[in-house]
Amino acid sequence: MTILKTTKLLATTAMLLSGTMLAAQAEDYTITVWAGGTGDTSNYRYDNIVMAADILEREAAIRGEELNITVETQAWSGWDDFKQAVTLAAEAGNAPNIIISGHEDIGPWSQSGLLRPIEDYVDFDAWPLNAIYPNLYDITSYDGVVWGIPQDAESRPFYYSRAHLKEIGWTDADIDALPAKVESGEYTLYDMIDDAKKMQDAGVVEPGMGFVPRPSNGPDYWQFYISFGGEMVDPETGKLVLDKQAMTDMYQFFVDASDAGVVPSTYLGSTWDSFHEAVANDRAGFWHAGTWTKSEWETKWGVDDFFGQMQYSLIPAGNERGHANTISHPLVYLLSNAGTDDDAAISAELITIASEPRFNALHAVKSGKVALSDAEAEIPLFANDRWAGIATTQLLPHATAIPNDVEFGPYWNAMFKNLEASWTGTVSVEDAVNALEAEVTSALGDKIIVR
Amino acid sequence: MRARTSLLGLGFVSPALALLIAFFLMPVVLTTFFAFTNMSTATGITGGSHIITGNLLRDLGNAGVDEDVLAALGEVSFSVTPETLAAAAEAGVDSSFLGEIETRLMGQSFEDARSFEAALKTMPSRPRRIRDLKLATQPFERSILNIRFQSRDAMEAAIAGMASEAGDETVSAIAEASYTGWRWIDGGNFQTLLDRPETIRIVLNTVFYVAATLAFNVLVGLFLAITTFYLPKGSAGIFSVLWLLPRITPVVLYAVMWKWFTWDNGFIYVIAKQLGLPAFNYMKGSVPTAWTTIILVNGFIGASFGMILFSGALRAIPVQQLWASEVDGASRWQQIRRIILPQLRWPILFVTSYQTLSLLSSYEQIWLTTNGGPGSTTTVWALEAFNTALNNYTGNLEYGMGAAMALILVAVGLVLSILYLRMFRFDELINKPRIEF
Repeated sequence: MTILKTTKLLATTAMLLSGTMLAAQAEDYTITVWAGGTGDTSNYRYDNIVMAADILEREAAIRGEELNITVETQAWSGWDDFKQAVTLAAEAGNAPNIIISGHEDIGPWSQSGLLRPIEDYVDFDAWPLNAIYPNLYDITSYDGVVWGIPQDAESRPFYYSRAHLKEIGWTDADIDALPAKVESGEYTLYDMIDDAKKMQDAGVVEPGMGFVPRPSNGPDYWQFYISFGGEMVDPETGKLVLDKQAMTDMYQFFVDASDAGVVPSTYLGSTWDSFHEAVANDRAGFWHAGTWTKSEWETKWGVDDFFGQMQYSLIPAGNERGHANTISHPLVYLLSNAGTDDDAAISAELITIASEPRFNALHAVKSGKVALSDAEAEIPLFANDRWAGIATTQLLPHATAIPNDVEFGPYWNAMFKNLEASWTGTVSVEDAVNALEAEVTSALGDKIIVR
Repeated sequence: MRARTSLLGLGFVSPALALLIAFFLMPVVLTTFFAFTNMSTATGITGGSHIITGNLLRDLGNAGVDEDVLAALGEVSFSVTPETLAAAAEAGVDSSFLGEIETRLMGQSFEDARSFEAALKTMPSRPRRIRDLKLATQPFERSILNIRFQSRDAMEAAIAGMASEAGDETVSAIAEASYTGWRWIDGGNFQTLLDRPETIRIVLNTVFYVAATLAFNVLVGLFLAITTFYLPKGSAGIFSVLWLLPRITPVVLYAVMWKWFTWDNGFIYVIAKQLGLPAFNYMKGSVPTAWTTIILVNGFIGASFGMILFSGALRAIPVQQLWASEVDGASRWQQIRRIILPQLRWPILFVTSYQTLSLLSSYEQIWLTTNGGPGSTTTVWALEAFNTALNNYTGNLEYGMGAAMALILVAVGLVLSILYLRMFRFDELINKPRIEF
């Protein structure tokens, strides 16, 4: 929102006057909600806003006011198209009122003026926003301003096929002890390559199916950078960090995995469908994915006995420099600069209601996400769901988040492009890391620290 | 009289002229303009505003701006004074609410919005809506942090108001740094492209893609035109229509069909498996098969274009020449070599030049099939420009850089057009024939 200080005062005046004058009249609002990365199991991302509108209308009716809210929702299953749509719609002045996106968009979108700071519209000291874990608000803040309300959070575990581990000589007790071994750093990514190789050699999985990583770009790949001791942000200066050693080790790991034959060198760019088809039908040895994929495997890919079929843990450490970890990539409700200030105020009230624990629990359990507050964890639907509990209590405490930095997007794109280049063997790991360094230093200058 | 005629002419061409300007000239002008800026998602296209944020103060501190000035700019306070109360009254804050503020909080000062709001929330006449409460705090606020100023003058005035000790130069420098919009960066984008190691790779990919697809287009187009020329009319028509299918199928559907054809468990995969040949995802599974797929996907579309033009040109060859050659005992090959090909020279040159230019700027089929993979092995210049400017996973759309890449493509296209025009003497093509048949 672009406001002059004087016009801001005028707006204040107009707002306060209209607030009193229009109180008795019927008010009609149309609120548009756009959600990115939203598949079949994530409908409560926007349905919660629709239900919140019903409640807000009833509350108004009790006060004797007539409030009519029409909520128009639209969801994108991917991210490229969604972000393109939001950005271009905003440039054309047609942004939706409520945007549900990844928190990393806060940096660029707040700079461009696409967002209104949500802290100007909601009360963090009141229920239900004061119940949400405070560290989640750190993730939705940028530049000292809270721009968004956490919509969900997750963790991204490493998965193992129980059957195939047994086929190479593991006992049930060994498999059950694995998550603890991973957490302590005893079982590393290179142990995983060895075991994947064993599975392939024993013929229990097909060649190239020992290790099945994410087929496309995603926050997941930063986990491997952390596994090798990388750091995304320097805690002292707040600047982005490129740890060349960790990046080299991370790129090298995927090259080694491909040299060992447990993953094809041309793996990146295959499809999610072939990924899910392989892991759900137990055709893979090791893989990694978000906690929410469990519900996808069950509803869409025919997994009946998740806990009997798969073991899970943090992403193992890569070497002694790094540690086992997982990344949480919370989605956030953002308030756009679209519409009037009244539209924004109504949108913020809808977001506040949709953030009540019961609403969030519907989304969390249906889509395999973690709890955003203690109160949500106590909702029976959530409390009695085994997976939701594990994701919240065992995995989330080890989670890091990617930074909210205007410059992180270019860094991220370059990181993945060079990972792809070295993985496919078109350039050496050393050249890929040097290319990455050259690219980020030329694009970001002193906004990134290279170690 | 003459003047009226030319006005009429102008009237007739004006719709075409308007379309030309809107859809051809304007995009080129805008691309040129964007190419010299750092426009991106973060800067926006329409221009920015001025804003001082915590991160900006930190960066300014690192750049050596006086700490006292920065501390003054970073100050936030909410104070209840007769002046701020008057301002609030003027802004329309409810008078009974203001009365309560005056009695309970007069002379008090708060360091952040949250504590001031907490104090206001204890007032019985506070507004019901939290947004109204927050709006009511604004007249009491003294801060320039996170406030957007539309003009540079307003920003400078605000900076000077907060930090009176700052000199004009400092104020101006801070206001300059506080701009959120795009800036002119001269040839910065082109310099970055030159410095990037991957640039050369993409250029080589593009050259290979254009050359290989072009060769396929022209040779297959020629082959089809000549073979259908010798076929009986009916079956020639059927073949021509079959070869037109790739061109008339919607591009997304066409790409999906290629996926079925080459993907895991697709048509070729199943056949190869039956035959004991290596079965994998041919579209993305290896660099040679990925290139083959792309060249075929584009080649089949282009081949039909060549076929149509060549067929037309073939029909224009006087059939008596062929009869005469047969009387002289010429074989089919000799007919093609000595009679047909020489007379197809112009259509071949036209198809070559036209297809070079359209292949240079085409990316849709690659985007929908290999999407430049595996790795970036099949990424061509136009696809990279599209991804940079309009379509990538992190949503970081670099309009400036993308436009610079597109501008290079426009420049290369122009140079090639001029070269073709000179080399192939197109002016002779449109001359009147010297001999009338």
